Amino acid sequence: MPAAVIEPEKLLRELAELWVNLGKEEDSGSMGVLRACSMTLLTLAGAAEDAAAVDETLALLMRDHPSRAIVARVRDSAEAELDAGVRAQCWKPFGQRRHICCEQIAIAASNATLDDLPAVILPLIAPDLPVILWARAPRLFDTPARRELSRMAWKTIVDSASAADPVRALEELARESEAGLTLGDLAWTRLTRWRQLIAQIFENPEYAGLLPSVARVSICHPGAAPTVGVRYMAAWLLQSLESAGSRPEVEWRKAPDAADAGLVRIEFATADPSLLTVVIRKLEGAAVETQVNSITTRAVFSAASDYELLREELAIPRRDPVYEAALKRAARA
Amino acid sequence: MPAANPFQDPLRFERRMPECAVVIFGATGDLNQRKLMPALYRLMYERRLAPGFAIVGVSRTPLPDAEFRARMRGAVQKHLENSPFDEGIWSSFCQGLFYVPGDVHDTELFHRLAAKLDEIDKARHTGGNVLFYLSTQPSQYAPAAKGLGAAGLSRGRGWRRLIVEKPFGHDLASARALSNELQQVFPENEVYRIDHYLGKETVQNILAFRWGNGIFEPLWNRRYVNHVQITAAESIGVEGRGAYYQESGALRDMVQNHLLQVMATVAMEPSGVFEPNAVRDERAKLLRSIRILKPGEVAGNAVRGQYGPARIGGQEVPGFRQEPGVDPASTAETYAAATFFVENWRWAGVPFYIRTGKRLPKRVSEIAIQFNPAPHFVFGQNGNESMPNLLILRIQPEEGISLKFVSKQPGAGMKLRPVSMDFNYGTSFGERSPSAYETLLLDAIEGDATLFARQDMVEASWAAVTPMLEAWGNEKPDFPNYPAGAWGPARADEMLRGRGHHWRKI
Repeated sequence: MPAAVIEPEKLLRELAELWVNLGKEEDSGSMGVLRACSMTLLTLAGAAEDAAAVDETLALLMRDHPSRAIVARVRDSAEAELDAGVRAQCWKPFGQRRHICCEQIAIAASNATLDDLPAVILPLIAPDLPVILWARAPRLFDTPARRELSRMAWKTIVDSASAADPVRALEELARESEAGLTLGDLAWTRLTRWRQLIAQIFENPEYAGLLPSVARVSICHPGAAPTVGVRYMAAWLLQSLESAGSRPEVEWRKAPDAADAGLVRIEFATADPSLLTVVIRKLEGAAVETQVNSITTRAVFSAASDYELLREELAIPRRDPVYEAALKRAARA
Repeated sequence: MPAANPFQDPLRFERRMPECAVVIFGATGDLNQRKLMPALYRLMYERRLAPGFAIVGVSRTPLPDAEFRARMRGAVQKHLENSPFDEGIWSSFCQGLFYVPGDVHDTELFHRLAAKLDEIDKARHTGGNVLFYLSTQPSQYAPAAKGLGAAGLSRGRGWRRLIVEKPFGHDLASARALSNELQQVFPENEVYRIDHYLGKETVQNILAFRWGNGIFEPLWNRRYVNHVQITAAESIGVEGRGAYYQESGALRDMVQNHLLQVMATVAMEPSGVFEPNAVRDERAKLLRSIRILKPGEVAGNAVRGQYGPARIGGQEVPGFRQEPGVDPASTAETYAAATFFVENWRWAGVPFYIRTGKRLPKRVSEIAIQFNPAPHFVFGQNGNESMPNLLILRIQPEEGISLKFVSKQPGAGMKLRPVSMDFNYGTSFGERSPSAYETLLLDAIEGDATLFARQDMVEASWAAVTPMLEAWGNEKPDFPNYPAGAWGPARADEMLRGRGHHWRKI
């Protein structure tokens, strides 16, 4: 039976000892270890979630954003559980003799001790550096502990892609955002490459000049109803087109045979389609084809992993006005 | 006023690239196949190029478009680094790939080129924007520019820019003559003189390091800096470039352009704004402040060398004079070291030592800033020696920054030992760094000349090396004077010893 008490001071002492021991282990090679820390990354996960996948994602992230990682895994149980341990996450870059190490604090908690987490975590945060909360477990999002942790953090990252009720999920996020929380949503991050393709087309002044005449937008989505990601895309597209003076009709189309939950096809055109027709569609595998009138190009969109998505979000540890505007619009659509 | 793009998201998206055509003269040549085409393909792979982007290859070899595309495909597959080759991407990339055969001395070539560019503009909506890239022998720069001007291609509906590869002349007079010929066709602000060293991420990072942090700049002057060493060493020989190399030599090939530009980046004043001309003004000012050696000062401040044969790692390595295409009596230097002084308040009296060479023990490029020792060393009684602090800016192969200082060795007594605090560019940012050519091509397409050499910079750096060129031109050297695999001739060590310094052991 694990203890239901954590002493943050003891954990900090263990962290210090960890670094001393790592230094001793490496001393024979005379190069020592290199300690790196650019932020505190808090992860709030359910104990039932794939612990190995979370660890792997964090290990990859350490290379881009060396952090003090604090991972709280919360068991869905009424039994009191609170335990913690420290370890180092090390890697040796190819061709180099020195290990680079980041520190990780793993906390095991349960529903019964969830409210104790903020007080435990507060003294463990690395001083003077950004704090980012990855609220990975959807069931823990609407809890006082998550809200308290969000208050400590510069930014809270969620993933609403698989929300059972997309409309409700968006409304909830929009409420939090309006209340002042800096949010990132991996469902939005997955759209970056699609959005960038669209933006690139309109770097051409000839095409940009036709934007006020765009009369029709068609978004093809998998499943019975548009997901949060599809709703974000529609909101962003419409907002951007409206700011250019267009008032297009929007058509939602269902793609019955889509292989994944992402976007399938986006099409928009001027009233006279011979002036401007843009089609971006997913092909088999990882390819995406862009057709602008008669010019066709291809790009490769390999499935973005949690690591790639988080890496993008961690690079923006502040408010993201484009996302916030799209969220607001998507929530009221 | 062009319509604004409402879809832009500057927090997340890469830089905006306008539609354009890139015309590459010397398209069947080595540089295009090894560097330019893989860089352009890679930019396409990363979705950095606009959909209507087009490339027109120009060269003397008569080839149909299909054959040119097949050759470029082979070149990209062979020379692409750190990326997979993707058939789908290639098929859309090569739709924008065209070829116009011809000689730059033939006016007809330029009329055919104009017709092709018109056709591409109509089909791919390039907005009339054209970037001309002279990837040819330097003797063809002026005729190519003249031909473009005569055919009306240097001006048009969109922007027209010209990229020129080094060498920008072979001395001060020829650099001025070349510039005059180019400027008769393209205004100076549309001439992009490429120096791929300035496109390296880590060279750019010097500016971020110096101007983005408050703690280093106060130390960045004669009061705290003892001297600076800039090293660009190659372990390989001339690798089939013997004919070119024996005409240029290490001073012209590396020091006059790359290394003086790196030195200027390290030593220039911070600009008021980070804009192309503001940064280039400061870089040019620094280059103009380099003290020009008097003829009698060259021997004490510059050393040249040429490698001879040696046995390295169980293999016989030929000397420079035994390399294919090299005159067995060649007096070209494969090693050059020089001491430069900057005549301004910040750097007066601080030596900047530069060395570069072929067949040195390892491939390494770095800048070492050695600070003055502690003014009064109190730990001498324990056998400790005062060790100067060193700040190392590593350009290649392990890009990063290290600060060396001393620390107490754990245990009884006060024994000191040097330790290193390292920032490693590759491991701190996991993303792949773009190649220098990717960076510079994007910059030129975007119209950002910050990392390109301006004519006044070129002239100032030629002026700085002219005394050495003249002195060395008048004396027959005793070559070879260092074996392949060594750190250059002994005289290079003596040059530093005279000032109480020594080359770092890298």
